[in-house]
Amino acid sequence: MTDIDHKKILTERVSARLGRRAVLKGMGAGIVAATAAGGFPAIARAQQSGHLRIASIKVIDTLDPHFTGFLPAIQVINNIHNGLLKIVYDGEALTFEPDLAETWELEDDKTHVFKLREGVKFHDGTPCDAEAVKFSLLRVKEGEPASPHAWKLELLEEIEIIDPLNLKLHFSQPYAFLPVALNGSTGRAGTIVSPAAVEKYGTDYGRNPVGTGPFKFVSWRENDAIELEANTEYFEPEMPKLERVTFLLMNEASTAIAALFSGQIDGMNDCPMQLVDQVAANPNTQIFGEIEGNYTFLGMNCKDGPFTDINLRRAVAWALDRETLVKQAYFGRAQQAYTPISPPMTDFFDPDIATSGRGQWFDLDKAREFRAMAENQDEIEVTYMMAERGPVGTRTAQTIVPMLAQIGIKVNLELVEPATWLKRRNEGSFDLYDFEWVADLDPDEAIYPEFKSDGAWNFCGWVNTEFDDLCAQAQVVLDPEERRKLYYAAEDLLMDEAPIGVMAHMPIYKVFSNKVEGFQYIPADLMNLHSVSIT
Amino acid sequence: MLVQALKKLGQTLVVLVLVSIATFGLLKLAPGDPVQIMLGAEYSQDSYESMTRELGLDQPFLVQYADWALNFVQGDWGTSYIARTDIFTYGFKEALPVTLTLAFFSLSFAILIGVPLGVLSAVKKDTVFDAGAAVFALTGTAFPSFLLGILLIWFFGVKLQLFPVMGYVSPWEDLRLGIYHMILPGLTLSTYFIAMITRLTRATLIEVLDEPYIAAARARGEPNWRVIWVHGVRNIAMPLVTILGLQLGTLIQGTVLTETVFNLPGIGQMLTSAVLGRDYQVVQAGVMMTAFLFIGVNLLVDLSYPILDPRLRDRK
Amino acid sequence: MTAKAAPASATVPPAGPIPDVTPRGKRSMFLRRPFFTVALIVAVGYILAAIFAPWVAPYDPVAQSMDAMMQPPTGAHPLGTDSYGQDILSRVIFGARYALIIGFFSVLIGAAGGLVIGLAAGLSGGWLEWALMRLIDAILALPSLILAVAFIAILGQGVDKVVIAVGLSMIGPFSRTVQADVMQVRVQGFVEAAHLMSIPSWQVVWRHVLPNVIFPLAVQVTIRISEAILVSSSLSFLGIGVTPPTPDWGLMIAEGRDFVSFAPWMSAMPGFALALLLIALSIVGDGIREEFDPKGRRGS
Repeated sequence: MTDIDHKKILTERVSARLGRRAVLKGMGAGIVAATAAGGFPAIARAQQSGHLRIASIKVIDTLDPHFTGFLPAIQVINNIHNGLLKIVYDGEALTFEPDLAETWELEDDKTHVFKLREGVKFHDGTPCDAEAVKFSLLRVKEGEPASPHAWKLELLEEIEIIDPLNLKLHFSQPYAFLPVALNGSTGRAGTIVSPAAVEKYGTDYGRNPVGTGPFKFVSWRENDAIELEANTEYFEPEMPKLERVTFLLMNEASTAIAALFSGQIDGMNDCPMQLVDQVAANPNTQIFGEIEGNYTFLGMNCKDGPFTDINLRRAVAWALDRETLVKQAYFGRAQQAYTPISPPMTDFFDPDIATSGRGQWFDLDKAREFRAMAENQDEIEVTYMMAERGPVGTRTAQTIVPMLAQIGIKVNLELVEPATWLKRRNEGSFDLYDFEWVADLDPDEAIYPEFKSDGAWNFCGWVNTEFDDLCAQAQVVLDPEERRKLYYAAEDLLMDEAPIGVMAHMPIYKVFSNKVEGFQYIPADLMNLHSVSIT
Repeated sequence: MLVQALKKLGQTLVVLVLVSIATFGLLKLAPGDPVQIMLGAEYSQDSYESMTRELGLDQPFLVQYADWALNFVQGDWGTSYIARTDIFTYGFKEALPVTLTLAFFSLSFAILIGVPLGVLSAVKKDTVFDAGAAVFALTGTAFPSFLLGILLIWFFGVKLQLFPVMGYVSPWEDLRLGIYHMILPGLTLSTYFIAMITRLTRATLIEVLDEPYIAAARARGEPNWRVIWVHGVRNIAMPLVTILGLQLGTLIQGTVLTETVFNLPGIGQMLTSAVLGRDYQVVQAGVMMTAFLFIGVNLLVDLSYPILDPRLRDRK
Repeated sequence: MTAKAAPASATVPPAGPIPDVTPRGKRSMFLRRPFFTVALIVAVGYILAAIFAPWVAPYDPVAQSMDAMMQPPTGAHPLGTDSYGQDILSRVIFGARYALIIGFFSVLIGAAGGLVIGLAAGLSGGWLEWALMRLIDAILALPSLILAVAFIAILGQGVDKVVIAVGLSMIGPFSRTVQADVMQVRVQGFVEAAHLMSIPSWQVVWRHVLPNVIFPLAVQVTIRISEAILVSSSLSFLGIGVTPPTPDWGLMIAEGRDFVSFAPWMSAMPGFALALLLIALSIVGDGIREEFDPKGRRGS
């Protein structure tokens, strides 16, 4: 036991991290009205009313929070389930607050104590108690089939149930990353599911999700729609306001926009950057979006092929004209990236990064210098693997080709199908590819698993044990100042050895018609509809 | 006739088996697998292996095929790998009616527009009207249906706000709304068939009008409209049915794009998303359904050949 | 019901080799068929544009220009620019190359495959015929777009792969046409008669079957070139066809679809180019068929 108030440190660190980002300027008064209020005109506990129809662009794989790998799925899952903690954004800063928990304390730096809300029931009527929490966490940690999110709870040693409402999580090391692990990235390791439902449906739980959230799952018709209805016994007062929600599953963003403009739908969970201008020009829509916790990069194969040569990699990293990329590939919406740490991570992001001398940027002279140091001085032909996937499809690749031609690298673009792309990426069978890590809340999930030597996501095959050590240390240090230094050192290594050329931080947009009120934007690609109403 | 029909039925089964083997084989040859897709960004080797085992994807090809075939024959179409949806519900109960509705509407539009256009073209052969109709019909076939669909969406859906731009409402549940939702996609898909029907009607009618019995009818003093619309058009029906049967594949293929553009949850979208997602069992179910439809219709066409051409009646 | 009412593809050409085709004066044909003439000029124009693209096109079709993104048609860019600042006119001109290459070669693959399988199915008897017929049925039962998607998944992507995938997916319909025509010939008793007279079978095929099969096949080819071009553009729409930034029309239409409401030229220009070519090809095909179809000469 120490005298340090771990919770306080953690909370401070976390709340300072995600500062308020300017809401898109000049997007019409709709946004200001909607976000500035934060709340909304207080309606007395009314009956739920209204039917909201939202286009959900791209893949929803499963509604099982412990197995999904896709953000659109999380958006739906979050309306059906609750977690131990939740992400809260007051328009200024992003914090983690207890959700199903009533209180969350740190007994010491390795022990988290949760007291649960009383009387919370799953949609199937079973109680959401300590047993259910334990069940869910263990399902992630050691369930069979193995959850892809298991690594987030690797350090969890024991779950101690004190009574039905109180439990303690014992970790083997101080775990600063816990709130992020429970809420972060493209899975919800800390989401609590109904044990009875898991028992009943087994691997089909993802089709029959049962949580404690503001909406109950009704139906899921493939390629068509997911229907939710209000959970009238939801534990948060005055929520939800809507009676029904339909997520229309759509592939074509341009059709979704047309449907929004013609009033057939009320919103979109994602508005690709190239469509933002059109939406902004339409007076009947409101748009929410900021630069979120992500980075896009050009990955180079460090294990095989020409890019085993570090100087060639450096040449590429310095030859990428980020300004052109932002303008041409991201329609001027994104923000140039110097390192992977993105602006919303305020504790770690340096607002003056552009002049700090850290990271990578466009410098053709420097690129040519590195190119001159490369072993192979002839024109080098490389294969750039691309697919119609991600936020901008093949745009990044097409924009990069002429840039690399300037340093004597001839890029052959190879278009593959998304499934083939995944397979080849996972196998490391490429020279170049571009990708984006999204919805990151902490450097620990933004760079460590991605570039850990032999890590599962380290598709470039970059090996640097010093980087591993620095990140591993940062995981157990609670002091933000010290953590930042460690991550900077790690990032500097990464940027210098250039397994990737980092490109941009992207904004993620949510669009609604003006009829929709009360949406609380959270810069983590969330679509929480708890407080939303429709007129 | 009955023996022949039974024989054809036997052949159909053989064809379906061939189709299913070919589909399974083709998909297995394509790189990538469903578990990788399912894991998305959260790839982990442990999870990959354990889920592959869970889904039986670690089994040899033949075992997987045999498993699928045995279950399928017994009416168990399986569960999709990724979304764990019951394939029979998804494919047969949800997607098939959508595609059939779309096909029905586009064929109806095509016949309602194509036949009169063709008849008038034949009657006014080599006039400006004839040429105009030909160009109109051709323009329909020449525009890629997805571009046409997008243009219709923006013009009739967004600009004029006349029709819904997407989605499916079952005409059995709500007839008016159902038809309303089918107008733009139905038109988009019908353009190709309008052209085909116009041309076929025109060509056939021109020939028919040369026949002696038409001259006979005219000689009997029957009015011109009766000669054309009754004696003439009656003779167009059969070749029309034949060619439409043969073109069913094109129709289904057209639904793929139309369904994508208008976001209709039919077989076309089911097949493309399943092929791209390597959801083998869903692809199988989709292919089996389209193959069955296709063979069924062609069986009817085949059986009608002897009726069409008496010389073929003695063969076999 | 009369025999004459059979569908166009299964028409009954007269037996024996096609007699020397002496059209009624070339000049008169162009005069008699003004649409045909115009369409022919358009089609030839496309072919010339495709051949001489590097000399005709004002810009490099893949030269990007950040200062000229999404410009509406102007003097400098008569058809506007796309979202990379690439000149659409130049891309449309180069696109003719890819369209014609894809259309022609994939149909060649399809027709060649179809001819072999169709002839074999039509001429061989017994067990082999039965098996080949079922094979054709099976290929036909798979929608060709889906088949092309599957082939692309296996082969990979790019213009050459698209040609192969589209070509393979067309073998089914071609086989069916050829087989049906062979059957028509067989019904007329030549093959049996020739066998009885112990004329070698290759000679029968060469002298009696092939001429009757080739003509309808040629007609099919003209129709299916358009279909091949459309299928390839559909693949691009689904994001799995030709590799960008290749100036392929389908790809250009697909890329521009997000901008239809405020930069419609991006999709519309290649769309019109495609439509015009297909219309021209189709009128030319019709003209040739009507002019040279043995059946058309029946009355004369």
